[in-house]
Amino acid sequence: MGNSEELKKGNSKEKTDVKRISNENKNDSEVKILAFLCNWCSYVGADTAGTIRLKQPENIRIIRVPCSGRVNPLFILKAFSLGADGVLVSGCHPNDCHYSEGNFYARRRLEVLKEFLPFIGIDKGRFTYQWVSAAEAKKWQQLIINFVKRIREITNK
Amino acid sequence: MKFEDRLKEKIKNIIDDLKLVVGYTSNKLPLRVKPIFIENKDEIENIIFNNLCINNLATYAYSLSQEVDGKIGIILKPCDVKSIIQLLSEELISRERIKIIAVGCSGVIDYKKIQKEIKGSKIISATVEHENIEINTLNKRFNLKLMDFYADKCYWCDIYDNPPVYDEYIESDVKLSVKSKSKYEDINNIEKLSLEETFLFWEKEFNHCIRCYACRNICPLEVCKDRCITQLDEPYWQSQRITLKECKFFQLIRVFHLAGRCVECGECERACPMNIPLLKLMKKVNKEIERLFDYKPGLNIESKPPLLTFEKIEERIKEEELI
Repeated sequence: MGNSEELKKGNSKEKTDVKRISNENKNDSEVKILAFLCNWCSYVGADTAGTIRLKQPENIRIIRVPCSGRVNPLFILKAFSLGADGVLVSGCHPNDCHYSEGNFYARRRLEVLKEFLPFIGIDKGRFTYQWVSAAEAKKWQQLIINFVKRIREITNK
Repeated sequence: MKFEDRLKEKIKNIIDDLKLVVGYTSNKLPLRVKPIFIENKDEIENIIFNNLCINNLATYAYSLSQEVDGKIGIILKPCDVKSIIQLLSEELISRERIKIIAVGCSGVIDYKKIQKEIKGSKIISATVEHENIEINTLNKRFNLKLMDFYADKCYWCDIYDNPPVYDEYIESDVKLSVKSKSKYEDINNIEKLSLEETFLFWEKEFNHCIRCYACRNICPLEVCKDRCITQLDEPYWQSQRITLKECKFFQLIRVFHLAGRCVECGECERACPMNIPLLKLMKKVNKEIERLFDYKPGLNIESKPPLLTFEKIEERIKEEELI
């Protein structure tokens, strides 16, 4: 493969979902929040919230992951680096993980990340991890309403 | 017998069982030493050990154990032993393949601190004797106190005569005598800054980064060198451009690769040609990990790194309620 072709390949790859999300509506002053939801609980919970027509803010862009344990802390840092205003990770409640222990690992990693963020100048409040089960559509609604409110406050500070 | 002679004697006795011994030897450059790889008995005479031996030879442990068949002996300061322990606890090297030749340490000199003191002038010759360092530059002579030029890690070292694990231990004639300093002082200073000031502080530092990867390549625990995600095409994490954003993100990759593993040997900071205070990031993560999981890396082969394990009920993690 030629050099230029390689370059092109690299560039096209760069247009990952995160990048696309952070670029759309560039002039929009609304905050953009990225959510990593686990396939088995939180994604279904968010889906249920939609199905039963609970009103929710539109600022959330969802990426479905197999398990909250799949979420590398670097996903979150990358999202911030590409311009996300807030990042939310949500998975099954502890002890309810589809893979038994994924969310236990996630809890440790994400807590360390959360404590680390202020050290590089990112507000701790911009990131959160929460447990939402498939049945907790109401909780999901309340959660993102509160989270979006918090991110707005931080962004407009 | 003098310390260095005892060290050579010991190596002479054990070299027959070993394929290779890694140690320090003198360097033509003043105030510098370099590593030496010894296979034969007659090369042992070249081995030295003194206050200039700041390099962490544990850096070679992983790559040599991949390339060389047989047992490898490595001369290690007690703080360097921590790197080996961490590698062992993650089963990256096997205990049978490594012979830990620990040497008592009386502190090591940080070359960068001296360079700063003499304002970067070229050192023609230098001698270290007792408590003093004498340096001749092109047009000036400096007399420096050894006390002020130890590497940062020496100021809070508590294992200089007590390596946590070893096969052979050669005690030093001189004890480390420094006024101990608070380990987290610099971290606390940054924590006091506002978010914006912190952001600008790192922005300023990473503006210098040239992405030479020296920090990664010298790290004894970053064994991923040839499959580092920063250089991979698939998955595509980063471009190869040298922009502030990319340099900063590269460092964050390192931070989270080393979270709960870094033994704070300070090699990344020493190797950095742009003098970026990289160790601060590592220290912050380690500080949080110690607070949350009561774990210090590099002290126990049996203990598991905290991010590779979990508790069903985490006593110290306070999850935030958003509802």
